[in-house]
Amino acid sequence: MSSLAQADAPAAAPARRVAAKPPRDFDRPRFLRVFVGLFFVVMFAPIALVVLFSFNASRSLQNFDGFSLRWYERFFESETLRSSLLASIEIALITMVVATALGTLLAYGLVRARVRWSGAMNVLMLVPLVTPEIVAGTSALLLFTQVGLELSLTTIVLGHITFSISYVTVVVRARLAALDADVEHAAMDLGATRWKTFALITLPALWPAILAAGLLVFALSFDDFVLSFFTTGESPQPLPVRIWAAIRFGVTPTINAIGTFMLAISAVTIGLAIALPRLLGRRESGLGVLLGREGA
Amino acid sequence: MSENRFAAGFLVPGGLWLLLLFVVPLGILLAISFGTTDDLGNALYGWYPENYERVFDSIYIEVLARSVGYALATVALCALVGYPVAYYIAVFGGRWKNVLIALVVLPFFVNYLVRTYAWIAMLGDEGLVNGILGDDIQFLNTPWAVIGGLTYGYMAFMILPVYAALDRMDPALREAGKDLYGGPWQTFRNVTLPHTRQGLLAGTVLVFLPAVGDFVAAQLLGGPDEYMVGNLIQQQFLAADNWPFGAALTVVMMTFLLIWMVLYLRSAAREAREVAA
Amino acid sequence: MLRDIDDLLGRDLDRRIGRRGLLKGGAGLALGIGLAGCGVGSGNDASKEDTQKAIKKKVDGDLVYFNWAEYIDPALLKKFEKRYGVKVRESNFDSMPSMMAKLRAGIAYDVIFPSAEFAQRLIEGNQLLRIDRDKLANTDLVYTQFDQPWYDKGSAHTTPYTMYATGLGYRADKVSGMTGSWRDLGEADSGGKNFMLDDFQEGIGMANLVNGFELNTTDTDELAQSTDYLLDLKPKLRGLSSDTITSMTSGNAWIQHLWNGDIVNIRNQVDDPENYKFQKNEEGIPVGSDTFAIPVNAKHPGTALLFIEFMLEPDNAAQNVEWIGYPMPYEEGATEAFAGLVKTDPEINVTVEDLDNGQEFENLRAEGRVAWDKAWTEFKAS
Repeated sequence: MSSLAQADAPAAAPARRVAAKPPRDFDRPRFLRVFVGLFFVVMFAPIALVVLFSFNASRSLQNFDGFSLRWYERFFESETLRSSLLASIEIALITMVVATALGTLLAYGLVRARVRWSGAMNVLMLVPLVTPEIVAGTSALLLFTQVGLELSLTTIVLGHITFSISYVTVVVRARLAALDADVEHAAMDLGATRWKTFALITLPALWPAILAAGLLVFALSFDDFVLSFFTTGESPQPLPVRIWAAIRFGVTPTINAIGTFMLAISAVTIGLAIALPRLLGRRESGLGVLLGREGA
Repeated sequence: MSENRFAAGFLVPGGLWLLLLFVVPLGILLAISFGTTDDLGNALYGWYPENYERVFDSIYIEVLARSVGYALATVALCALVGYPVAYYIAVFGGRWKNVLIALVVLPFFVNYLVRTYAWIAMLGDEGLVNGILGDDIQFLNTPWAVIGGLTYGYMAFMILPVYAALDRMDPALREAGKDLYGGPWQTFRNVTLPHTRQGLLAGTVLVFLPAVGDFVAAQLLGGPDEYMVGNLIQQQFLAADNWPFGAALTVVMMTFLLIWMVLYLRSAAREAREVAA
Repeated sequence: MLRDIDDLLGRDLDRRIGRRGLLKGGAGLALGIGLAGCGVGSGNDASKEDTQKAIKKKVDGDLVYFNWAEYIDPALLKKFEKRYGVKVRESNFDSMPSMMAKLRAGIAYDVIFPSAEFAQRLIEGNQLLRIDRDKLANTDLVYTQFDQPWYDKGSAHTTPYTMYATGLGYRADKVSGMTGSWRDLGEADSGGKNFMLDDFQEGIGMANLVNGFELNTTDTDELAQSTDYLLDLKPKLRGLSSDTITSMTSGNAWIQHLWNGDIVNIRNQVDDPENYKFQKNEEGIPVGSDTFAIPVNAKHPGTALLFIEFMLEPDNAAQNVEWIGYPMPYEEGATEAFAGLVKTDPEINVTVEDLDNGQEFENLRAEGRVAWDKAWTEFKAS
């Protein structure tokens, strides 16, 4: 196809409420490749800065005065920071699992069920997305205190899950809506129970969305400050709460060290998710297996 | 229809959770919005609907309008940048698909604040960018700084759902489309885009709704004229110690957004059915 | 199929949401009306007697510590842990109202650090235990101005922790035309890089001082004039920020409305500290202080008392001053330490004269507070 001839066609997008833009189906996507490259440069520019200055020998954030690990020492020596880090990871993991489960179920119900009250459920599901964090935090705090629940890691998790469900539902629902219900019907015609159909047909097809949603929820929970602050008991406070409170006195290299450390952990985790099954002898990568890639 | 009931059962766990842990606090919020404050700044329940009268003062409506404007710009930018990236990864990623998507998500594991402060260091008047360009361009404390900050902060929310939708699409459809429609652009318009509309819609919702209520970007990157409704609400709950007024502002903002969202969802759902059918 | 979705999202939605929404709202309102007059989340109504309990000065458990972040030398916390064999469990807040929200929720902290106005509020609400000054060593070193502070008669429930003065921080190498007045914020030659504190008290207070009014005036006309001053100033400001340290170190601000301790911290972080100066202004210097306090529901008040005494020791106080960069109002160690920190620019110091002549922010009451809030909110939104 003479896509090359159209390479420089102007990117005229039809004006819609959400502007559609012109990615093209090139056989050799030169423009796209450059664009994506640029995208990653911009995305990672501040990250690079954070990483670089976490190794700064001096306190300065303007000049790099030599390599040093002292800020990492500071970070690991501090028991408060260590316990905060662990708390944040724990909270994010639990939130990810529960919210993803609840959200996926909700998405399935919203798309497949035609009950009178699913419309209202639709709106209810959207409301947390519109709620400002400060409101979410203070109203959660009020709820827990009126009910007499003592603030602790549990209350943080409860709060996080509540506000994460909607994200999962929106993401999973988009993929689910595009799935063909006929495959499910065929399976049932062949004798599979509804549960088996859901578990063996629907769920695997949904995996990329569920995974994507799960990652999103983890990142959101891990990064959350306002909601966490209001629902936390006394120590340990989640890491973002400490960062938020500390950053008013200027970004210290210790904060950059924490950021870099988190980045490293996430990179390693994701890397493992991709590489491990391959190392263990399977032909596809980890994500490929999870994605239920048919044969590829 | 028992299939229906089966599916409806799925609504129960999530629905129950939201009901208990979200609707009830919402009721509390509503109650507070009609309250007032005492001498020492503590919030009291009561019946003071004048909070709502005050919300509709033109200054505050302006702030809301500005927030919606910034959020729309953010959605547009996220879509304009995010869709091509998602497209490239889904269609041309090949063996590297997973790595590339992981790279998209990775920055989001660095704390949002830490990233934003890094931007300040880069875009500040004496920051890196100005140092390289040798010029004295003011990047920060402008509306575009805020929109840029919002876009950067919410980009993954657009890319992930769009990617999930694109990834699901059968490449054969695109091939067929190319045969049918001739050019890549027409193929995109008539085949790819409609099939990924739900993904785009999801991305829009996930970016737009939280962006309106965002307060970090405006607080750190904006000037006094870039005040957003999220900052206003934040201020009422913290500095002004006026929870009732803050609650009233919140209720109005949420209602406004929800109405538009529901209308948009209805029309989009109708279109999606047309494509599938 | 189309029709079903339409039913779902259209007709049914309108009907269902209507009913459900009313239900929700109705429940909320009923709750509200039923609770009319009740305080939101006010779980701890304590009486005056509760606050008078004598605290035995001994270790009675770990120290549950609640403060701003980066506001104490961590080495001192470790030292305290070692000396008394306890752990310090640290939580941080990022604003006074946030601290209050957590306190009202009933969490039992042992030592907290309210600012002067909030200390007063807590005392009036019977939320702070009595601190027997005679039981603590080194209280004679505390500046006498704090013997009968306006916020705590007889200094019975708090001990001062730090003090600070508000002024203008500026880049001596970039800015010219500083005249020693608050007006410099809008009028000095600073390339438009002016930032005001994002704080309603400091903002309106500054305008009051410029106009020659009392710092805490609630007179309607005077407030109107001050609001006008602020509105005139707004277009000349590049921003409002309480992130004073970042705004100056990033070069964003050449003049920043800030507290004297901030300048010390800024100078620590830049390569040319001599260019960052602090100006106390002739129309008036707002002076404030943060305090130690022990909440009435503290589980380990004895340890808390030991902690306060520990921080009053001259060596510890001096070490703390050097770490946090703010002055602490104790003679000897603390005073010398801060003077040492600012010896090249002594105007950064908060002297005894400043304390005597400076004005302090009061707790505004009822309509006064409402008037200030309204003025500030409108200033920010317009």
